[in-house]
Amino acid sequence: MSKVAAVQAGGKKTSLAGKIFLAVVAIYLLVPFVTTFIYSLFVEWTDILPSGFTLRNYIELFSNMTFWSSIGRTLVLCIVSVLITIVLILMAMYVVVAVNRKFAGAMQFLCMIPYALQGVILSIGIISLYTGTGTILSNRMFMLFGAYAILVLPYIYQGIRNALNSIDAEMLIQAAEMLGCGRFRAYVQVVLPNIFSGILVSSLLAESIIFGDFVLANNIAGTNYQNIQVFLQANMDVSSGLSSAIVVVIFVVVALVTGIVLKLQGASQKRA
Amino acid sequence: MAYIEFHDVVKRFGDNTVLDHINFGIEKGDLVTLLGPSGCGKSTLLRCLSGLEQVSEGKIILDGVDVTNVPASKRNIGMVFQQYSLFPNMNVAQNIAFGLKMQKVPADQIDEKVARAVEMVELKGKEKTYPANLSGGQQQRVALARSIVTEPKVLLLDEPLSAIDAKLRRALQSRIREIQQELGLTSIFVTHDQDEAMVMSDVIQLFHAGRIEQAGSPVDVYTKPVSEFAASFIGSYNQLTAAEFADLTGERVAADQVVAVRPETIGISVEEPEADDVYVLKGMVAGSMPRGNVLRYTVRVGASTLRVDVLFRSFHMFGTGETVYLSLPKHDCLIIPAAA
Amino acid sequence: MQQTAVAGRQEVSRAEATTKVAKRRPWLGYLAIVPFFVVVALFEIMPLLQLALNSVIGRESGSLGLENFIRVFTTPLYQQSIWNSVWISLLSAVVGIIVAFLAARFCSEASPRVQNAFTMVLNMMSNFSGVPLAFAFMILMGNSGVLTLIGQNFGIPFLADFNLYGSEGLVLMYIYFQIPLATLLMIPAFAGIRKEWREAATILKATTFDYWFRIVIPNLMPSILGTLSVLFSNALAAYATAYALVMNNYALLALQITSRFKGDVQTDAATGGALAMVLIALMVICTLVNNYFTRRAAKGRELV
Repeated sequence: MSKVAAVQAGGKKTSLAGKIFLAVVAIYLLVPFVTTFIYSLFVEWTDILPSGFTLRNYIELFSNMTFWSSIGRTLVLCIVSVLITIVLILMAMYVVVAVNRKFAGAMQFLCMIPYALQGVILSIGIISLYTGTGTILSNRMFMLFGAYAILVLPYIYQGIRNALNSIDAEMLIQAAEMLGCGRFRAYVQVVLPNIFSGILVSSLLAESIIFGDFVLANNIAGTNYQNIQVFLQANMDVSSGLSSAIVVVIFVVVALVTGIVLKLQGASQKRA
Repeated sequence: MAYIEFHDVVKRFGDNTVLDHINFGIEKGDLVTLLGPSGCGKSTLLRCLSGLEQVSEGKIILDGVDVTNVPASKRNIGMVFQQYSLFPNMNVAQNIAFGLKMQKVPADQIDEKVARAVEMVELKGKEKTYPANLSGGQQQRVALARSIVTEPKVLLLDEPLSAIDAKLRRALQSRIREIQQELGLTSIFVTHDQDEAMVMSDVIQLFHAGRIEQAGSPVDVYTKPVSEFAASFIGSYNQLTAAEFADLTGERVAADQVVAVRPETIGISVEEPEADDVYVLKGMVAGSMPRGNVLRYTVRVGASTLRVDVLFRSFHMFGTGETVYLSLPKHDCLIIPAAA
Repeated sequence: MQQTAVAGRQEVSRAEATTKVAKRRPWLGYLAIVPFFVVVALFEIMPLLQLALNSVIGRESGSLGLENFIRVFTTPLYQQSIWNSVWISLLSAVVGIIVAFLAARFCSEASPRVQNAFTMVLNMMSNFSGVPLAFAFMILMGNSGVLTLIGQNFGIPFLADFNLYGSEGLVLMYIYFQIPLATLLMIPAFAGIRKEWREAATILKATTFDYWFRIVIPNLMPSILGTLSVLFSNALAAYATAYALVMNNYALLALQITSRFKGDVQTDAATGGALAMVLIALMVICTLVNNYFTRRAAKGRELV
């Protein structure tokens, strides 16, 4: 009896220690960004405290055309690549759920490889294979789209596969088939509307991955087709004030996307 | 010529033969139950008829047409699945209308037919509800309405009630049977529950290991099992080997046969009964167990144990250890081939 | 049986039924998977094969052999790169998992409000990596960074003399990006630890030490090792953070591989290919380890 009480008391004590520990971790994680944010709002920070509050860095950044064009390029890369991957996987998964299950294993294997490789290997493999071949594949844009499509493959594949499993897509197709609906039509009319939110969540996740990518953009296109991360890297040595503003902008954009993803996931969990 | 005919249907998954030369016919308007333990091939046969599964050998005739190679969507067969298979993005009315839309039925007729079907499954007022907000029983009723509204040639029901709790299941059994008879809809019902098969069927096809073990009306299958498997699956027959039977009664049957006796045909009394055409055995009550309105005794007779069912009347119960006399009517002792 | 009552109801003319009979064309369905295979072949499989091919064709001899691998394992720069990559990744992964274990444990015991706030911070900061992270650390701990200034003014040698542009800095940053990832992976594992275990253990007179080291940690082991391997390969493959901080001037596998292909002077696909194969081998080992543990966790027990 006394032992139980002791354990419970111990449980309460650790909870205070726990709060402190969690707070320390949270502070460690937040400090670098918060510092950058403060830094971006002041003229100089050469003493303990920064001095001269200003929005100059942001005004300068938002009137910089190179910034806007790098944002534009990043968005093009994000949206086009993710769309390519979604279409590829939706088509391939049609075969898995409606034609022949045996492809499921191969699909999973091929889709998980990029997860293990990540950016470095993928980018150098692609430039090593296609640069200077003079074919359409040596076009930098072509290589970039292909590379990004592969980079986000695991995330979009998992999102779509889980969505298909959760509605038991195979069963729905069979039910539709018994009602006189062809398999492909059933996939489009019955299955796709039901996995829309799953696709949305995984593609937003993929967008934030491409938005945060530096390796592929730098290795494949470099200064020829500067995305936002390459733009930041190029500016780091030139102007730290401007760079701090870019960092804040990148973070805010990715945080917004992450927030939407979390909200959507929370909503779908509540419904389930 | 029957309405549906299976000719030498064989289905293999790899090396595993799931259906082994199935031959039988189904008459128009009948409800036929495919009964058997899980893995006996009954669902596979249903899926072969539906077109969701391709047969490996043999052919299937539906209404005089060879449908063996016709895609599922063109066979005009209705099917209710074991799992709830409603389309989650559509409400009840939209789910039911789906098949009619596929058949390009004019919109005003669709509304009318949907309304009739909704009424038939007693879901009036739920037309705009989405499947996620329906109970399991309601979902299966929508699935039933969805598959009969297109007026299919056959209705297939693949263990549609196995996920539904016992009380509701009985109500749905009789509702399905009523609708089926009202529409004269040829139906095939798959189940592993012998009680369900008894209640619902015109004909029972008893499956065992990819073959049909026995076919007949519920009464025939229940009272005249043709094999040891049938006797153990239907009812809960007491089974005595030839040696045990000889031991108890002194009568001989061939060694490759067993004697099966239903528990409710056996009489139990304290006094030694005097009657013709019965075997009288002296035994000792080993236990008793109330099963609803029936009391089941286990009685040890020599080296054998027999189950005896009597109506549960509390004014007299035999105590454990009590000596009793069992009377087995001779014509209820069925002599059937033993399992290989 | 009851046909008469419903005569005509199921009547579909037989002629119509026969014309409706359409043959199956299963090959048509397979077309949909072709674009996927084409893209995967072009941008995933063939580039990998190209790297493998680069690695086995000798730079000097031009013939098939292990020449490039021998050079990789005997040249000090490359030896150093492999070693640095391995120890920095391992150290950051181990520190990451320890912090994550404690954080996930406290988080699972905390109130829902604290839990939500903490996981929010984790989710947001798990995106803070790569170039922005390197920049933020430069502002914080670079040559004239805020903490460096504080260190100088208050005489804290650790802060004043901290060398961000070397292994110390890399380790600090790698640990930074491991913590949110690791904690997000460990929190679900802690959800599998049931309250009843503690009660059962207490009734059986187990001490707190017994409870943690004989019950909780053994049960979490598959998750811990699986997460560890994810962290290790995550750090091995990290490039942007290190590149933004030290460019190519540090012996690190990811940096050296890339500079063989995008060198300032001359590309050296043979050596780069061999280095890439070494990195791939390390990653594959990690993935296999992870698969082994996650499968064991899934098979053995329902939890974790």
